[in-house]
Amino acid sequence: MCFKNLPVEFDASGKPFLREGVRDPYATATATPPEGPRQLTSEKIEELLRRNGHIKSLDFDPVTRVAGALAFHSVADFENRKILEARSVATLFRGYEVIMVGRDPRDAIFITSRACGVCGGVHSTCSALAIEMAIGCNPPPLGVLIRNLALALEFLYDHPLHLHLLAGPDYSQVIVEPTNPSLWARAKTTDARHTAIHGFRTIADLMTDLNPLTGKLYLEALHMTRVAREAYVLICGKYPHPQTIVPGGMSSTINLTVMNEMLVRLSQFFDYSKKLALIWDDITEFFYEANPEYKKVGARRANMIDTGIFDHPDAYDATYENADTWGNRRWATPGAIVDGKLVTTDLKKINMGLEEFVEHSYYEEWTGNGEQQHFGTDPSGNPLSPYHPWNKVTRPRPQGQNWKEKYTWDTTPRWDRQGMEAGCYARLWNTAVAQKMPENPFMESTGHSLKMRVPAGALPETQLEWHVPDVWNAFERNRGRAYCMAFTTLIAFNQWLAAMDRLKDGDTKTSTKFEIPKKGTQQGVGFWGAGRGYLTHHLTLDRGAVANYQILTPSTWNASPTDRWGQPGPYEEAVLNTPLLEETTDPEKFRGLDVLRAIRSFDPCMPCTTHIQSEGGLITREVNTCACGLDD
Amino acid sequence: MKRVIVGGVGYPDLCDYSIGIEIQECLSKRAAPAQVVVEDLSYNPIAIIQRLGDEKDGERFARVVVVSAVRRGTRAAGTVSAYRWDGGMPSDEEIQRAVTDAVTGIIAVDNTLVIARYFGALPDEVVVVEVEPETHEFGASLSAGVAAAFDDACDIVWSCATDDDFVARLPVSALALTTSPGVRIG
Repeated sequence: MCFKNLPVEFDASGKPFLREGVRDPYATATATPPEGPRQLTSEKIEELLRRNGHIKSLDFDPVTRVAGALAFHSVADFENRKILEARSVATLFRGYEVIMVGRDPRDAIFITSRACGVCGGVHSTCSALAIEMAIGCNPPPLGVLIRNLALALEFLYDHPLHLHLLAGPDYSQVIVEPTNPSLWARAKTTDARHTAIHGFRTIADLMTDLNPLTGKLYLEALHMTRVAREAYVLICGKYPHPQTIVPGGMSSTINLTVMNEMLVRLSQFFDYSKKLALIWDDITEFFYEANPEYKKVGARRANMIDTGIFDHPDAYDATYENADTWGNRRWATPGAIVDGKLVTTDLKKINMGLEEFVEHSYYEEWTGNGEQQHFGTDPSGNPLSPYHPWNKVTRPRPQGQNWKEKYTWDTTPRWDRQGMEAGCYARLWNTAVAQKMPENPFMESTGHSLKMRVPAGALPETQLEWHVPDVWNAFERNRGRAYCMAFTTLIAFNQWLAAMDRLKDGDTKTSTKFEIPKKGTQQGVGFWGAGRGYLTHHLTLDRGAVANYQILTPSTWNASPTDRWGQPGPYEEAVLNTPLLEETTDPEKFRGLDVLRAIRSFDPCMPCTTHIQSEGGLITREVNTCACGLDD
Repeated sequence: MKRVIVGGVGYPDLCDYSIGIEIQECLSKRAAPAQVVVEDLSYNPIAIIQRLGDEKDGERFARVVVVSAVRRGTRAAGTVSAYRWDGGMPSDEEIQRAVTDAVTGIIAVDNTLVIARYFGALPDEVVVVEVEPETHEFGASLSAGVAAAFDDACDIVWSCATDDDFVARLPVSALALTTSPGVRIG
């Protein structure tokens, strides 16, 4: 049984049903709060601040080197070098749920793309999948393969950007030398283990080339974003907002010229992905060996959620009924991981376990007050919570910030009432453990690791192996993301090979015709993934127009506030567990580096989470990611 | 004549804040001398420096003219200001922030120029034409003050692209840079 907290049980045939004899099964007041770390009360924090000079607030506003507008409030005990309070604050409102109501569903492909200036394509695709399910439209095999390829290329833009432009500088010489001089001294005398692949003799050499603006790794990442972008626009027309994603496949013209030009670019990621994996292996092991306390930076329970991504053309049929079947044949397996254990890979169970709360968010509740729940069950008859996205209504209510009450524009998604984390590394973890990956010549899931045979480029063919880690922390997030480069590259290469086989057989059809029904009510959900992990779009159509549209992004999960049971959101939990390891004893010289490492390891993307400037916000520039003004 | 690129910078459908794109679209219909290229430069500044870097050696642009809505708040809506950028750069920390914004989707004229200058993609001569905006909301229409200035702004940009003497008479000035606060303790 995958649910411990929701009132859902399963009969002998595996059919879920609501626990019998419970009058209000989804009541939140009576639910058992999951175990885990807790915030101190505001009163206790205020008392500690008043009585202890070494306890001070530590605020980051904005958190720099992340996408979009994130602020973070914490209270640090500088004597005992720990964090006592952690509050994640999304300072902007994302209005796509409001914008979409009443529109033609096809608009979603172009409007929701604007939720992100990095990965617009994943939102376009997710909305296309939601529409496909709602209207019953199944793309042809080549359409599925090309869609997979396009989105894999988008991730090849995203991952190096995060690793070497956003998170990487936290491990660079210009940051490490002044904050941890002894660590820098050690780096200068520590040989890197994988010099033969990445070319850096010592860890200090590596750290120096992680320096922002001037380091070779920083500059190389800028270049590689171009390579990925060029490959992407061959299929999608434009980056970051694609023009060729449609319900029922892709409107791109695919021929040998396009495929060859794509391969020229894709193959550049063979060597680059080897380097990235082994660079982050070397960084991680160096920090662990220098001071095992680094294993606590950004540490939290290994609770993760992912919808899986990259469909198999022989399995995907766009139906909710068969979501378990086609989901399990995805290249990246869906899954929910609780305390390090994979508890389900069934997309319908993942969907059933979703709830979204607004206890500490600037929104009004939509349940209660006699309001009718839209859907008591999903399209397969499985029970749904009134807090499920298909039942959610977005009602923004700006107000003052108060840690005890409301303090963020992010909502609080939970799965089985547990704080889950999203990230591309969840794909690795699920796929490694589930052993459901399609058979292919390059990758193998072993149940505890993922083996990847990366073809030769200038470097020889190289065997990489990502292992499910013993600890879950900031370093493992970064290492996982680095291995995702090889994982994604090899998935893309598999799609390329399969698409070439289709073309050789004369199959050039990339889309299926469709019509938007003008009568009745239809439901759909896009289960896809962003560069940063989990992504769903829940859609309800009424007489041909959008009646409800709900987006759940990776950073909605990760940046979520403390929930109604006192369970901190993932950023908050990770920061609460982070020791302060900078060598200075002077709080005035303290930079909050380990707190920032913890937060940045999640690859925050706040434009996806929240978007429009609020009156009470502290944003110092008008933020409009993407070429749009569609968010008012 | 020098090779010149004229670029509009902004977001579409954002009322006055789209003026850079509107002007660029208008000018792209004019018969330009062979040395003048009019383009939409409203995209990732990293991609812009890569695009500028693709010009062959010896044929690179000798002048960049950018036009955009820039809110300074000290002048009337629709005020058009043209100047030669003094090339002044913010701190490395601010440049890093600009790169972060650039690769994550922010389109802003100061970001574009700062990043392009830092990575050596700009010629010495950079002309900025700013239009003071008023309305910042979804929509295709310009406010009355900005709409009234539209034709003049187009002509000024055109002069910046085609008239060396006109450019030589422009003042030298700094960009309107945005800044971000840092960590607060206590």
